Parts: sequence; structure tokens; C-alpha cells
Amino acid sequence: MPSDDRIGEIYLSAEELAARVAELGAQIAADYAGREPLLVASLKASFVFLADLTRAIPILHHVDFVELAGYSSDETGGTAAIRFLKDLDAPIHGRDVLIVEDVIDTGLTLNYLVRTFGHRSPRSLAAVTLLDRPYRRLVEDLPVHYVGFTVPDEFFVGYGFDVDELYRNLPDLHILRPAS
Amino acid sequence: MPETPDFQAYRGTEPPLFQNDAELECAKILDYYGIPWLYEPRTFELEHDEHGRVLEAFAPDFYLPEQDLYLEITVMKQSLVTRKNRKLRKLKERYPDVNIKLFYKRDIERLGQRYGLKLAS
Repeated sequence: MPSDDRIGEIYLSAEELAARVAELGAQIAADYAGREPLLVASLKASFVFLADLTRAIPILHHVDFVELAGYSSDETGGTAAIRFLKDLDAPIHGRDVLIVEDVIDTGLTLNYLVRTFGHRSPRSLAAVTLLDRPYRRLVEDLPVHYVGFTVPDEFFVGYGFDVDELYRNLPDLHILRPAS
Repeated sequence: MPETPDFQAYRGTEPPLFQNDAELECAKILDYYGIPWLYEPRTFELEHDEHGRVLEAFAPDFYLPEQDLYLEITVMKQSLVTRKNRKLRKLKERYPDVNIKLFYKRDIERLGQRYGLKLAS
């Protein structure tokens, strides 16, 4: 345990996370049997989940990453629009795309990815998320086919989630406490 | 009074006059995601006296036409939003076809945690 007051109690242990990820991997492998899905993770928080999930899917599949530009006002006084800092490496026309999310709450980010990828004519488009807060959703009708855990309205740290870009390496998922 | 940037996804005609920084940040978030939005486009009458005069009304902060969804922004802690929740419940009773959700400061902070958004306190 790091000596940082912001790192609270364990919400999900490494063992609980591993068990659920294994279940998700088995389910995805069964659903995509005979196909070669492309797993697309949005950097950065999902990279730990993706690393475990890809090893829990015992069928051929591909992996790619996207990165979205941060939100901030631009220099002209306007507002910045969402855009890719890193787009997919290859076309997805006719492919089975599975978006890998660390957490879905408002659904705004996933909605953007689904709309953007949808224009590229994949054969199928679905999402898997480690954590879900469906009660905070602003955008409905999203193709969230796989959910690891439905979680309360808390901030988390560890297992890919950061505080000031730290602690992504913690093996357990902790509650994040407000800074004292 | 918060600044008012040039919004891309705003669908109103007059420049929005935000009440606080949380509303401004929410507008920026909607703009960032390209979600069309309107600011306080409708006032819902909630209570009338015996003469039909309006005793209580409620104008949600945002309307998202593509989602057909009203958003009410609150900067209060979730445990302290009882009064606002009561208003929302009343609105839902009077206007059952209207979709409305509370957007908490925490939602904005969470998006900030993900995308480096700086919320003015």
C-alpha cells in the first residue's frame, strides 16, 4: 500500500478482477468464435484491463489503440472539439470491432467512438467495459454488450486508473479519497 | 460572470448567459463531444394558485435535442440536492413525457479526471 492518504480501501481485489476478466474473456471468445475480432482500447486507463482481457480470450484476435485529445478551450476563445491524437492503425471495414473501455458513465466518449467507427462500415460494433455506472448515462442505446462490474458513484484508483498520472500500477482497484 | 466562448454545438440564437462555472464547463463538455445543446429553452410551470397564476416554475439548464433530454446542473454535493430532486420529481409528475437528469459536479470532475478538464472552483 502506498503512503498516500488519497488511496482508500480496496473496492475490488486483484483476485476479484482477474476472475471477472476471465469470465468476460470466455464469454467474448464464445460469442466471436470463428471470427477474428479487433479489440480497440482508448488510452490510457484501459490498458491494464486490455492487457488482462486479451490474454483471457483464447481465440485469434487483433488489438489496437486510440487516444483522444484532452478537453480544453482553444487559443481563439472557442471550445476544442473531440478528436483523435492517435487513430486506428488499419481500416475496420467489414471487421468485428470490440471497443474496450475502462469505465462508462455518461456514455459521451463511447457514443463518439461508436458514431465515428460506425461511419467506417465495420461488420459489427460492440463494447466491453470493466466498470459501468448506467445510472449516470446521458446517451442511451449504446452497444455495451459486456460489463465487468456495475459500480457506485465513487472515484477509483489502481488497475489502470490514475491520480495525477500515478498509481495505475496498483494491482487492486481502490476507492479514491478526496485530498485532505 | 463566466466567460462565454464561441460554441460549435450550441443551437440557440442568443448567447447563453451562464449562472456559474459548472454550467459553463458542462457547455464546454457538450461542445467537446459535438452534442447539440440549448440553454434554458423552456420553463415548466409546476404550481398554480386558484386563479391560475404561476406559483412555482422550473427552467432546466440544458436541453439536448438529439437525446430529447433536459439536464439540470448542480454544484452541490449529492447528499445536499434534496430540494432540487423534489423539483425534478414534481416536474416528472406534471410532465411524465419529459426526460430530465441531474448532472452533478462529480460528473464534470470525472470527465476532468479523464481528459484534463480544469473546473473552476
